[in-house]
Amino acid sequence: MLRSKRDASKRRFDDVNLDSDSFSDSNDSYSDDETYEKVPQTRLKIKMKEQDPGDATSGLDTKVHSTYSEIPDDYVPDSVSNIFGKHDFSYLKLKPDHAARPLWINPEDGRIILESFSPLAEQAQDFLVTIAEPISRPSHIHEYRITTYSLYAAVSVGLETSDIISVLNRLSKVPVPKSIINFIHSCTKSYGKVKLVLKHNRYFVESSQADVLQMLLKDPVIGALRLEASEQSTTGSGLVTESAPKMGDLKIPGTEKPKEEEGKDGERDGEKKADEDAEDIFSHVVGIENDDDDDLDAVHSFEIAPDSVETVKKRCQEIDYPVLEEYDFRNDHGNPDLDIDLKSSTQIRPYQEKSLSKMFGNGRARSGIIVLPCGAGKTLVGITAACTIRKSVIVLCTSSVSVMQWRQQFLQWCTIQPENVAVFTSESKEKFSGDAGLVVSTYSMVANTRNRSHDSQKMMDFLQSREWGFIILDEVHVVPAAMFRKVVTNIAAHAKLGLTATLVREDDKIDDLNFLIGPKLYEANWMDLAQKGHIANVQCAEVWCPMTSEFYQEYLKENARKRMLLYIMNPSKFQAAQFLINYHEKRGDKIIVFSDNVHALKAYALKLGKFFIFGGTPQQERMKILKNFQYNDQVNTIFLSKVGDTSIDLPEATCLIQISSHYGSRRQEAQRLGRILRAKRRNDEGFNAFFYSLVSKDTQEMYYSTKRQAFLVDQGYAFKVITHLHGMENLPDLAYASARERRELLQEVLLQNEDAATLEEGDNADSFVGRGSSNKRGSAKRTTGSLASLAGGEDMAYIETNKNRNKDLRKPSKQSAFVKKLYSGKR
Amino acid sequence: MPKATRGVLIECDPSIKALIVNIDSSQHNIILDELDDTHLMIHPSMVEVVKQKLNKMLAENTYNPNEEAAKATGK
Repeated sequence: MLRSKRDASKRRFDDVNLDSDSFSDSNDSYSDDETYEKVPQTRLKIKMKEQDPGDATSGLDTKVHSTYSEIPDDYVPDSVSNIFGKHDFSYLKLKPDHAARPLWINPEDGRIILESFSPLAEQAQDFLVTIAEPISRPSHIHEYRITTYSLYAAVSVGLETSDIISVLNRLSKVPVPKSIINFIHSCTKSYGKVKLVLKHNRYFVESSQADVLQMLLKDPVIGALRLEASEQSTTGSGLVTESAPKMGDLKIPGTEKPKEEEGKDGERDGEKKADEDAEDIFSHVVGIENDDDDDLDAVHSFEIAPDSVETVKKRCQEIDYPVLEEYDFRNDHGNPDLDIDLKSSTQIRPYQEKSLSKMFGNGRARSGIIVLPCGAGKTLVGITAACTIRKSVIVLCTSSVSVMQWRQQFLQWCTIQPENVAVFTSESKEKFSGDAGLVVSTYSMVANTRNRSHDSQKMMDFLQSREWGFIILDEVHVVPAAMFRKVVTNIAAHAKLGLTATLVREDDKIDDLNFLIGPKLYEANWMDLAQKGHIANVQCAEVWCPMTSEFYQEYLKENARKRMLLYIMNPSKFQAAQFLINYHEKRGDKIIVFSDNVHALKAYALKLGKFFIFGGTPQQERMKILKNFQYNDQVNTIFLSKVGDTSIDLPEATCLIQISSHYGSRRQEAQRLGRILRAKRRNDEGFNAFFYSLVSKDTQEMYYSTKRQAFLVDQGYAFKVITHLHGMENLPDLAYASARERRELLQEVLLQNEDAATLEEGDNADSFVGRGSSNKRGSAKRTTGSLASLAGGEDMAYIETNKNRNKDLRKPSKQSAFVKKLYSGKR
Repeated sequence: MPKATRGVLIECDPSIKALIVNIDSSQHNIILDELDDTHLMIHPSMVEVVKQKLNKMLAENTYNPNEEAAKATGK
């Protein structure tokens, strides 16, 4: 029955005229126009009669025509058509009730424009996030794009081709263009139809469509690898049929009963009657868990041997039927259960629950990537997923600091015993005691192949010898594909979950993740979370600092690297930073100032008398400074280099000032913003966090700055441009107020060699993975100079330097004055 | 005896002035006189040239996402 229904819908789309009657559906309940409703229904019935019910494969064999002429014959271009040229879409006729429908689809590139102010927008968004990739989501108009990967993801969470098209049709202002329908057909036809399932530690190739499996079995490579089913009832074709898995009694810990929750949701956004109707329409498509389509019940499968899994996967890829991997953890009796559960006090937020429901949609664990903003509780999502699967878990993250954070979070949120949590870093190599447990490690520890110590080799052997139920990959965007392959092949895990805040890279390696881990399962809307108070509201501003004329003249003469130093050290920028720090300290904000350039970092911090941390700061000093920043109300500002971008968690910070950055890295901008998104005070009435980016006008920095903001702008953040800070001139003891001081600064900057301009090779996400755990020591420095200058015979006689405030924090040492002198000489 | 030369007075930001000085530095046929930080007197026939060159130089510092996309698809 199902098949014929599906075929019917496919037929229908192939036969569609682009008349106004083509976009209806029998479920279309919010169309007011009765007569307009009826016409297509009769059409539909005729079509269904025409079809031969016995012809089971016709739906699959339907040829996809790639070149349709979109423009109907009776279309007459109007007087302004020629202005738009190729972008004239007036031939797409608006539906009579288009005002009530929130979507428009571009027939050429699959872009979807959504009116986010429409009453239907919330449901439409849920749907669109599933089938398309969010491109840009500012407050009123959202932009999505249907891509191969996004459709792949949609299919993997259980949506059917016909569902996708009919819902799109319902939401769209114009009939869904044929090109889009074709695209959806061609992408979803093969994707996700075949699943590789591990049950009772045996691998099964599974599909809801028997004919697809028949096709696979006829394939010379795959057919040969099939194991004859023994005990289960086999149909004549040699396939095993059983009922499809359902969400059933699976409960994601920390969530309330799904039904109740849904009821509440309904109440919340269904205040208007119309909304409730809409809820009904969507529930069967968007709410995967109550998929009540009886026809889907039967799945067919055949078994393959574990050692041939790789071959089958590869072959399936070749013949365009990529397999989806699912882990039926509830029926996995081969791997011991891990005693882990969320503590009863742990509450997970609605969006976290939503993301998890995408992962455990049918009671099995799917592999994939969940995208949540920094500070929105990615860790908790990972932990909850681990508590749902309840098998041995391995967590991989990017640095040893986050290893400790993950371990601590696991102990904080769930009931796992500390002896079952093992940490594998260069410092500590433990194993857990029981049969099942949790290991936290870093990518570089696991992927490193050379020069392993005996201990870590032993640990690695332990990791490789086991079968893991679940692997969590933190900050998954930073890891290069080659390293991932190594990790994924080294560790046998049934389900993989990637977590990230910013699924962007400046190169195009992001696509690889789709195949290495899985599709993007969920992406949260930043603005939405900010509105609901899960992350802080942030005011973003770009402050334009004019270059002083002396600096600019030098800027024009210098090469690229020196230019950078010039625009960072721009005295106006200095003043702006000073002014902003002053202003926000008075308001009681805690301020972090970011600078990638260590030379500038030191210069700024010394001049303004603030504490600073960079790659070379010893661990102990770092901790001391951070503690002081958190608890000491005398220390309200710290300067951080790149090391502070990710791993440092400071919920006290409420204001960020950025004075130099890593070129046009969108991710760095987002990660830095993430430092203040989790601000403790975010739920105070009218609280705003502040994010300033200081930019030297008329320089390269302007270019980078705009580029960097692109990601956040797409998330709906608006950057205010401040061209003049009011009252800056009147600030007492303003730095570099006189022309003489500025000239001195310029001289000093010009004297710096190019090395000072290079960015710190710190924990930059692009470069640090694979660097191993080696701690870079300052290498020897070579400079040219005369013998006289080395002997101190040149004319510099006296130099005044600003005192490093970091040293104030040190305890008075008992060392003799002589030792101290030696020590400070070394620095 | 005083000599008079026709010129165009330019008022601009210090940074733009630096740019014009930079353009002038190769041939010295543009600027007649540097008056102060924000004012210049330039040769009337060179106004268009200066405008053009300035636009080009300033465009280098402006990020245009469409251009980027066009480049990416062009590959």
